[in-house]
Amino acid sequence: MPDAAPLPLEPRAVVLDARAAGRDDAIRQCGELLLAVGAITEPYIASMLERERSISTYVGEGVAIPHGTAKAKQDVLRDAVCVVRFPEGVDWDGERVGLCVGIAAKGNGHVALLAALADVLLDPDRARNLREATEVETVMKELL
Amino acid sequence: MAAIESKDIHKLVVACDAGMGSSVMLATQLRKQLKSTGVAVEHTPVNEIPKDADLVVCHTGLAARARAVAPGVPLVTFQIFIGDPAVTKLVSTIKNGGTVDA
Repeated sequence: MPDAAPLPLEPRAVVLDARAAGRDDAIRQCGELLLAVGAITEPYIASMLERERSISTYVGEGVAIPHGTAKAKQDVLRDAVCVVRFPEGVDWDGERVGLCVGIAAKGNGHVALLAALADVLLDPDRARNLREATEVETVMKELL
Repeated sequence: MAAIESKDIHKLVVACDAGMGSSVMLATQLRKQLKSTGVAVEHTPVNEIPKDADLVVCHTGLAARARAVAPGVPLVTFQIFIGDPAVTKLVSTIKNGGTVDA
């Protein structure tokens, strides 16, 4: 039996009190977190910034889901996501983002979590709970 | 511009760039919302849109690439994942019948 795959979201990849100078800074922080949990190699972070410049990853409800380009999948070591909350908000090309879900994926390991995120975001009350979460536990419960 | 009658839509393809983000979210939601209609929802990279796609849905920023890969196939574009009127209209047209102009 192979070892069970690690959950795509680990508590140590959740930061609930971050501050960012702007969109790119917020994306870099997501990238650094994905790097810290061993999901990516460093070049992936630049691809996250590149992707954001071509197509915004803002999905609504104050949430953005920064991720890399198709080409940068070679820099992904394993499927994982991170959650970074910016209580003061970040200007995201005119939208206000309070929560980022950073994504690194080369397979389908993140699909169930993204489906869960979609369900949360389509429910305004749950979206607010997630956006205003002050406990890592709350985030884990909503997304896993 | 192309158009298709809702009854002729059997396979809907959500095209994406990296397959990591909002296109994945949209595909899972469309699959749920269209379950009762029998329309198959697939999710593929924009340069691998299958030949038998009846309708393509993608982000506005990928529209030009999608058109180049699948010329003549009706294309619905969305801007923001949540509550994009184009997607809401598409789901309602497929469910209630009508023409998808895209």
